[in-house]
Amino acid sequence: MIHDYSIRTIFGAGALVLAGALAAPPVAGAADGEALLRSYCLTCHTEQGAGSGGLSRINEMRKSPEGWHMTMNRMQNMHGLTMPPEDKRAVIKHLADTRGLAPAEAEPWRYLLEQDTNRVEDVAEPYAEMCARCHSGARFALQRRSAGEWALLVHTHMGQNPTLELHALSRDRPWMQLALDETAPALAADFPLDSAEWRAWQAAVKPELAGSWRLVGHVPGKGEFDARMTAEGSAADGYTLRVDGRYLDGSRLSGRGSATVYTGYEWRGTLELDGVPMRQVMAAAADGAEMQGRMFRRDARELGGELRAVREGATGQVIAALPGHLRRGETGIVTIVGSRLAGNVSLGAGVRVLEVLSRDADRVVVRARADGANGLREVRVGTARGAGMLAVYDRIARVEVLPHNAVARVGGPGDAQMEKVRVAYRAVAYAAGPDGEAGTDDDIRLGPVPVSWSIEPADDDAAEADDHVFAGSIDADGLFTPGDAGPNPKRSMSGGNTGRLAVVATVAGGAEPVEGRASLLVAAPDFVRRVLD
Amino acid sequence: MSSIKPHRTAALAGLLGAAVLAAGCATKTMAPTAGVTDEYLLTVTRPGQLQVMDMQAHAILRSCDIPGKFGSGSIAPSPDGRTAFVLSNMWEDVYGIDIETCEVVFSAIQSGGDIRVKTFQSVAVSVDGRELYTVQNPVRHLPDRLEVLQPQLAVYNIADGLNAQPARTFPVNRRITKIAATATGEVILGGADVEAIDPRTGATRVVTALANWDRGPLWLPPDAFAMHSQGEHVNEYIMPYVTARFESEEWDFDAAEWWWGFSRVDLATGRAEQMEIFPLEFIIFTMVSDPNDRNILYGAFNTVSRHDVAKKETLAVEPLDHTYYAINISGDGSKLFIGGAGNDISIHDSASLAKIGSIQLPGDMSTADLRVARIRR
Repeated sequence: MIHDYSIRTIFGAGALVLAGALAAPPVAGAADGEALLRSYCLTCHTEQGAGSGGLSRINEMRKSPEGWHMTMNRMQNMHGLTMPPEDKRAVIKHLADTRGLAPAEAEPWRYLLEQDTNRVEDVAEPYAEMCARCHSGARFALQRRSAGEWALLVHTHMGQNPTLELHALSRDRPWMQLALDETAPALAADFPLDSAEWRAWQAAVKPELAGSWRLVGHVPGKGEFDARMTAEGSAADGYTLRVDGRYLDGSRLSGRGSATVYTGYEWRGTLELDGVPMRQVMAAAADGAEMQGRMFRRDARELGGELRAVREGATGQVIAALPGHLRRGETGIVTIVGSRLAGNVSLGAGVRVLEVLSRDADRVVVRARADGANGLREVRVGTARGAGMLAVYDRIARVEVLPHNAVARVGGPGDAQMEKVRVAYRAVAYAAGPDGEAGTDDDIRLGPVPVSWSIEPADDDAAEADDHVFAGSIDADGLFTPGDAGPNPKRSMSGGNTGRLAVVATVAGGAEPVEGRASLLVAAPDFVRRVLD
Repeated sequence: MSSIKPHRTAALAGLLGAAVLAAGCATKTMAPTAGVTDEYLLTVTRPGQLQVMDMQAHAILRSCDIPGKFGSGSIAPSPDGRTAFVLSNMWEDVYGIDIETCEVVFSAIQSGGDIRVKTFQSVAVSVDGRELYTVQNPVRHLPDRLEVLQPQLAVYNIADGLNAQPARTFPVNRRITKIAATATGEVILGGADVEAIDPRTGATRVVTALANWDRGPLWLPPDAFAMHSQGEHVNEYIMPYVTARFESEEWDFDAAEWWWGFSRVDLATGRAEQMEIFPLEFIIFTMVSDPNDRNILYGAFNTVSRHDVAKKETLAVEPLDHTYYAINISGDGSKLFIGGAGNDISIHDSASLAKIGSIQLPGDMSTADLRVARIRR
C-alpha cells in the first residue's frame, strides 16, 4: 500500500525453458510460410479490408523471433491452438522474416533477446510506471505496432491480467484511461509499425552466414575461450554447427549443434558444448563479416557470457589478445587469437616479445615484457592488426563487478517447483588514465582479472537479519548460489532465504588490495516462465 | 483449434449438485440457545471450503464445499447471519451457502457467452436480506481480440436461488473492490474515491473524495485500497489509505510526514468521516474498530497493532508469527482473530495483543475474507 517513488525496474533472471528451440531448423520453406500461417490463424483472425491481403492483428505488428514465439505460446496455452512443433517453428520463422525488426530497431534492446537481464534499465516516462513496473522496458521496445494495435494491447493486458489496475502504482491513477489515451499513442509514435529502417532492411540483400568463423567468448566457471565454428547450410536459413577450440588455460572445448537465422540477421544457435546444452543469440552485421551476442546455458540462461564471431577470409585477422593486459615491468604470457596468422608478432610500443611459445594460423602464444606509458597497444601479426587490444598498466586502480545489479532467486530442494537462479560474477579491472585518478572517463579497461570473492550484508538492516548467512554463498569462480526456497524457521517470522547483499571482489597485488562491489537481491522464485522478461 | 475456451457453465451446474450432496456430510451441529446471539467466524480455504468456526472454542464447526475453483474467498454474510455469500471460481461466481447445513441456496454465474466477468471482492447483501450486489468487470472475448467493457453494479434477487440472473445493472467506475450496503438503501463502492450508488436508479454520489481530493499540492494523493473491509459488528465500512504531507513544493519524500488515513462510512446513515488516523510506521493490510470504543482501531499484517484515532497515535504493536491479511474482532471486543495468507488463524487478547490461541485450517486462506456471522436465536 506504499508508494515507492524510488522504484527502479530491476528484473531478474527467472528460470526459462525455451520450449521448441528457436535454433532448430524449420521444415517448411519460406514460400510455404504465408500459406501455413493462414492455415492456422484464419480460424480466428480475419482477412482485413479488400486489397490489404493481411490478417487481422497479425499484420499490424512486428516483433523479434522471441516475441513471435511468445505469441505462439499464448495462442497454444490460452486460445486452444494446436500444431506440431515443426509447424510452430516454421510459422515463427515466417513471422519474424516478414513481420520482424530491422537491426537498428532491435539494437538498443538486444540484452533482452540475449537473456542478459541482470541490469537496471533506464526507461522513460510514461513507460516506466505504466509498463516497466511489471516487465522489462525492452519487452515492448522490441515490438512495433499500429496505433490501433497498441490500444488493443492495452485491452489484452486488462483482459488477461484483470487485477492489473488494482496494483500499487496503478490504483492511484485511472490506469485504463491513461493507458488508452496517453500510453498507447506514445507507443505508436515511438515504436511505429511503419519505419524507414524496416523498409530498408526488407529491401536489403541479407548476409550469407554459412562458412568458417572464429569465435571468442566467455563461459562462466571456465573462462575465456577461442574456437572455430563452421556453419554448413542445410535448409533455408538453417545451419549445422561444429565448434572446436580451447580455453585460456589450454583445455579443449568442443560442440555440435544447429542454428537458424531469422529476419536475415538474428542468429539463434543451439549446441551441446562438452555435454552441456548451450544457446547462442547473436546479431549478424549487415556485411556478414561479424556476429555479436551472448552464449548461455539452455537450462540456466543467467549463466552465460559474451560471444563474438568473426568470419574467416582470405587474409589474416587479429581478433583478440588474451588476457588483454600486461603490467609494466613484468613478464607475462599473451595469447593472440586470430585467423590466418602469419608473420612477425608485435605488441606495440614498449612491449618486448621475449619468446614465441607456440604458434599456428589461429593462435600465437608469446612471452612478453611491458614497459612504457599506461595505455592501449596495437597487436600485430604480419599485416594483421588489432588496434587497442593490449593494455599496458602500472597498477589496478579500480575493479568493476559485473553485473552491477543482479537478482538471484531461491529455489531447489525447499520448493521443487523452480530451480535456483544463480548469478555468475566477473571482475573487470581498470587502470587510471593520464589524469592518474580511478573512476574517471579516461580509465583504461584491462579486462577480466582473477579476484577473491565474498558477500556482505547490503546494509545494517540486512546485517541485522543475517542476510549474508541465509541468502546464499559465492564460490571461488564468482558463482553465487542462493539458498533453498520455502519458510526458514531460523529466520524472523519463518521468512524465506531472501536477502540483500553486496558482492565484493578483492584483487591483491598493489600496495593495498583493491575492492569492487555490486548489489545483489536474493528474491523469491519467479513462478512465471517467460520467453522474454 | 478454437479461439476461446468455452465457459464452464455446464460443468459448474454439475458441481452445484455435488455441493448439495456434500452438505449432508456435516459432522457437527451448532447448539442453538434461545434469545442469544451466536457468533461464527467464517473464512474460505483452498481448495474450496467455507470454514465455519466457533469463536469461543477456537475450533472448526463445519467445512462446506464451495463450487468452482478457489478465488477469491471474499465473503458477505447475510444480515440474519445464516447465509454466507462467497466469491468463487477464480473471482467469477457467487455462491450463497447456508452455514448451518452447507446447502448451496444461491448462485450467480457471472460469466457467459463471450463475456468473462471478474469481481474484485465486491460482494454485499442489502440490509433487508433480499438483494445481492456485485461489481462486475466484464471483458468480451472476441475471436481475435479482447474488449474491456464498462464495469457495472449487478443487482440479484436472492430469492431467485440457483443460477440467478441480474435483475438490474448500472454502470460504475473502474477499480472498485470492497462494497457494502447501507440502511438507507445505497451501496458503498470502494474505489479510487468512496462512492455510493442507489441500486434502484443507478444514481451515484461521492461519499469521500480520495484520489480526487482537493487538499492542495502539499498532500500526496492517497493510495486507497481495501481487500478486506470488515465492519459489520459496528455497522461501518473502512477504506484505509496512505498519504504524505510535504514540507514544501520541493517534494522531499524523506522529509514528508507519512500518514495512514481512512474514510469510515456509517452504514446506518451513509455518511463518512475522513481523516489521517496515525503515522505510517509499518504496513497494515486490514483495520477493524473496537465495538466498545470506535476511537480504537486494530490493524494486522506482519504485526498486530492498536491505535487511537483521536490522538492519532499507535498505542501498541506486537509481532505476528508470519504475515496475515485480515483481522476481525469478537462482538464483545475481547478477542482479535487474524487470518488470511496462510493456514492458521491467530487469536489475540485485544487489550494486551498477546496471542491466546489459534485455529489450524486444512488449507491456505490466501486472499479469503475473515468475517463474523451473527445469528440471533
